[in-house]
Amino acid sequence: MIAVDENVKVLTNRAGEPVRFNWRNGSYQVTSRPERWFSRKSWWLEASRAQRGIGSEVLEVEMWRITATKGISSPSQFELLHSNDRWQLVRIFG
Amino acid sequence: MSFTHLNVCSAYSFHFGTAKPDQLAQAAASFGQDALAITDQNGLYGAVKHIGSCLDKNISPIVGVRLQVQNRGTVTILARGHNKGSGWAAICKIVSKAQSKSKKEIVISEKNLAELVATDGKPNCTILLGPDSDFGQAVIGSNATNSAKSLLAWQELIPVGECLRVEIASHLTEPGTNYSTLQARRMLQLALTVGVKPVITNAVRYLEPDDALTGDVLDAARHLEPLGIFTPQPNAQAWLKPESLMKQLAVEIAQSQELAASLLKNTEELANSLRLDPVSDCDWSRPKTPEKSALGIEGNPFEVLWQKAHAGISWRYPNLSEDKLLPVRHRLHQELITINKLGFATYFLTVADVAQMIRDMRIRTAARGSGAGSLTNYLLGISGVDPIEHDLLFERFLSTERSSLPDIDIDVESARRHEIYRAIFKRYGGNRVTLLSMQSTYRGRGAVRDGGLALGFEEDQIDEIAKSIWRFSARNFRGMLGQKPELKKLAQQVEHDRRLNLLVDITERLDRLPRHISMHPCGVILGNENLLSLTPVEPSGLGLPMSQFDKDDMDPMGMLKLDILGVRMQSSMAYAIREIERVSGKTIDLDSIPRDDKETFRQIRTTNTLGVFQIESPGQRELTGKHQPTEFNDLTIQISLFRPGPMKGNMIAPYLDGRHGFVKPDLIHPDLAPILKSTQGVVIFHEQVLKILNVMTGCSLAKADELRRSLEKNQPHVEGFFRQSATKRGYSKAIVDRIWSVLEGFGSFGFCKAHGAAFALPTYQSAWLKTHYPTEFLAGLFTHDPGMYPKRLLLSEARRLGVKILPLDVNKSKDEYLVEATIDGTGIRMAITDLHGISNSEISRIIKQAPFVDLADFYLRASPSRSTIKRLALVGALDELAGGSNDHTRGDVLERVRQLTALKAKPKLDQNQPMLDFEAKEQMPSGFADISAAEQIQAELDLLGMDITDHQLAKYQPMLDQMGVVRSSELVSLRSKTDVLIAGVRVATQSPPMRSGKRVVFITVDDGTGCSDATFFDDAQTRSSGVLFNTKLLLISGKTRRTGVKGVSIMAENAWDLNQLWREYRQKNQLVAVEN
Repeated sequence: MIAVDENVKVLTNRAGEPVRFNWRNGSYQVTSRPERWFSRKSWWLEASRAQRGIGSEVLEVEMWRITATKGISSPSQFELLHSNDRWQLVRIFG
Repeated sequence: MSFTHLNVCSAYSFHFGTAKPDQLAQAAASFGQDALAITDQNGLYGAVKHIGSCLDKNISPIVGVRLQVQNRGTVTILARGHNKGSGWAAICKIVSKAQSKSKKEIVISEKNLAELVATDGKPNCTILLGPDSDFGQAVIGSNATNSAKSLLAWQELIPVGECLRVEIASHLTEPGTNYSTLQARRMLQLALTVGVKPVITNAVRYLEPDDALTGDVLDAARHLEPLGIFTPQPNAQAWLKPESLMKQLAVEIAQSQELAASLLKNTEELANSLRLDPVSDCDWSRPKTPEKSALGIEGNPFEVLWQKAHAGISWRYPNLSEDKLLPVRHRLHQELITINKLGFATYFLTVADVAQMIRDMRIRTAARGSGAGSLTNYLLGISGVDPIEHDLLFERFLSTERSSLPDIDIDVESARRHEIYRAIFKRYGGNRVTLLSMQSTYRGRGAVRDGGLALGFEEDQIDEIAKSIWRFSARNFRGMLGQKPELKKLAQQVEHDRRLNLLVDITERLDRLPRHISMHPCGVILGNENLLSLTPVEPSGLGLPMSQFDKDDMDPMGMLKLDILGVRMQSSMAYAIREIERVSGKTIDLDSIPRDDKETFRQIRTTNTLGVFQIESPGQRELTGKHQPTEFNDLTIQISLFRPGPMKGNMIAPYLDGRHGFVKPDLIHPDLAPILKSTQGVVIFHEQVLKILNVMTGCSLAKADELRRSLEKNQPHVEGFFRQSATKRGYSKAIVDRIWSVLEGFGSFGFCKAHGAAFALPTYQSAWLKTHYPTEFLAGLFTHDPGMYPKRLLLSEARRLGVKILPLDVNKSKDEYLVEATIDGTGIRMAITDLHGISNSEISRIIKQAPFVDLADFYLRASPSRSTIKRLALVGALDELAGGSNDHTRGDVLERVRQLTALKAKPKLDQNQPMLDFEAKEQMPSGFADISAAEQIQAELDLLGMDITDHQLAKYQPMLDQMGVVRSSELVSLRSKTDVLIAGVRVATQSPPMRSGKRVVFITVDDGTGCSDATFFDDAQTRSSGVLFNTKLLLISGKTRRTGVKGVSIMAENAWDLNQLWREYRQKNQLVAVEN
């Protein structure tokens, strides 16, 4: 597994699922059904407020695990982080 | 198709759930769902509230529990409905069984579970095997074959098909982990393969995603570790999702519309079979009392009650002529008719039976609350005040207009309360009785503490913050930061410190959440032999089983709750009576002493009421000075006036003005004069409102009480009725207007006279004892500690009254404060239990082995630890063993103790061996210096918490004299508005709710000549904020304010720490000495 932390451009379908993303001049096509999940943050180390009604964004972040391929190369698994319309590539699995 | 949540933990899953049942029901109803489950962890703690909320919202309640099954992980067990309570009974018994082993491990065995979920092949409950079950865990950690095996094993254990479901739940966690979609998908596949129907839930633990933050903090409180140390919840998905999201989730898991639809259909089918009918399943709201056989009565309960009550007439009114008995009989008949109409005869017989049992145990009792308004209660011996003599109304207590069981509360000696509980269990059987539980909730200090723990604060820092939270709701912590002077420092820190800033937010979040369940201090539930099928129980600290329901659940469940409240004053009075009898041989029946003793009232009027029930607080003492009570009814009035309601309603001043003849009482109308006369035209009591409505509108007293109850909520309705009826009966518009303005203002301010009268009885009795037997009475106060003040203040009071205090002496002191005959009268011997650090076994050895001949004998036979014998020596408890202070100094005693404790091995007690240097008084060293008076007092304060030989302020006297500090006893001779300095030990701090809403702080200090009360308003609070709540020894500046004939209080301007002034004073004096 490789940890990455780079912004990527993502194209999504109507349901909001990623179908393609561009990373380091390459275009990756999603080849399987993406799996959505939610990870969490250590808000007690970062946040300065936690009042009632502040919202779960302080605690949680949306992630997508996808299988994608660039051109004709063999597919790999990627993990994208989605927050405020911003997408980041965070992990690449072997 | 609708969706029903079948796995929902409410806030009654302590330190886990965040939402109250009413919030959950409200949300479910607003989503359009028509049923909702509650499935709290390890119990039905929130079940009754859930059912009530669902009935309110017109949705069907479903009840279950999250429980660990031995070796099989945690599952959700749900009661099935519409089966005449067999589902409800089974869930109660499953919980009770799981709770029965130990507090630490709550778990049900497979065998017990299998036996209870179905009876003769008929399903009582349905078990959901979710991600936390062994099956769910196998799906993550093992291969498909092993997972299937675990599901098959469940099928084998629970063969009835309706009793078992697989629970599909995804919190959208990282793929492959617990509560992930992948896990849910695999569980779904295996369920279909093996043939157990799957249902879908969201394993809910909060209402909205935002509550997940609160969940994090609760997790930390549960783990007792800061956030970051333990593995936290994976994300914020465990919320009560609406139907649309649940459907979407089903599709996401099943990856097929068809499969998702069947999953949802299964869920609804199961939900339908779980809907409870509160009435037929839970015996909702139907009153339940012990069977006749359990009460030992035969025939018609009402006839038995009739006979018992009539038999009470000759007991309560032995010398009354027949014509004077007529009104008594008339009233009794009216009461009995009402009781019969309501079907409460068995209820009254039950309470009477318990009261009789308590009397037979020779334990003091008294009634409290509106029950004292019932003649039936008086005749049955449940209450001790005559409602006819004191003009109390039955209708305030019970009427045909209401059908809920009335509350009858009984006060008993606190020290013997548990004896009574055990006797009740024995008398009615363990299947009919349980203790009541109590939910404790997060308040300011607890919330700060657990919030601080979660954020990893040091304990000291949290302690300091917690101490500054005083009498305000933590829900508004941030708002208070800007308002309260004592929070100013914290407010500044919060601005720069990120963690402190977070602490404020999460403290607000925790406030009011349930924390844990404990034994209610006085409640016992008495039911029929079906009781344990209606409520789950768990062990209490007392060893007796305790219901998981609390007092608010009693009425909806139709359960009879008896409040048997331990009152320390009753123990103190019983103790005083016992000591009077033991020392002087005199027997006193406190309940039959005349209630018009002049000497007692004279004593009360001096305002030296310390230790007297209900009227010893600073505020009550001030009121006593103004009021100057002369008869029993005055006590009833005074107790009732000094309550938040009458204080907010501004009733005190007009009453006192009328009483002292400053103004002529306005009795408004001749018809009302008899009602208003005794309270100077001021409406204080609920009973007065009832009578006014009765006289002016002609409605019954029962109806009048209903009108009074709705005065708060539905004023227009009451006003309309009142105006119309009163006008019809010929009252002028002016009179109607005036009375209405009184009633309108009365709102919630008044007080129940029956309650006041019930309280006035022990008030009078304790004042009588204090007046006639001060030594014995104080001995009782020392032993049972009933009051609001520290013990050392009782010492001051003893000194003031000339009651002799006998110091600790290992040959004479016991674990109680005995009254001892001395050469010139009697005294109170200090108890050995006051010594700090002494163990229970040391205490019992000393009491058992006494008397001792000398120090060595004591060291051998009482076998105290080194520190204990040293402490005993320091406070003088060993002086008598050295031949008394004439022969040897305290220094000699301490030296001898050093010798003894320095011996390497304690010699064995052996009758045949002479112990050479060990025995005999000749071994006593002599010539060692005695300790000074100041050292002596310091040792007493350090080791006993009391200054026995002299008041602790004595040492500061030179400085106080130089400053011109006034003694408490001198205040009464000063003119009003004199500038004074007073000093003393803080004995009480109060901040009662005020009419203006502003905070006022009352501080009482004691200087050995008596107590002084100082009042701090806003400015004074700001000036003295550093010492306002925590400093023990205080110097206070202010102006005197006369509050009545005998009353003076101080309007404080500022306050200082006396010890700090003392240090400065000594430094200065030393400097002066050097300069000279």
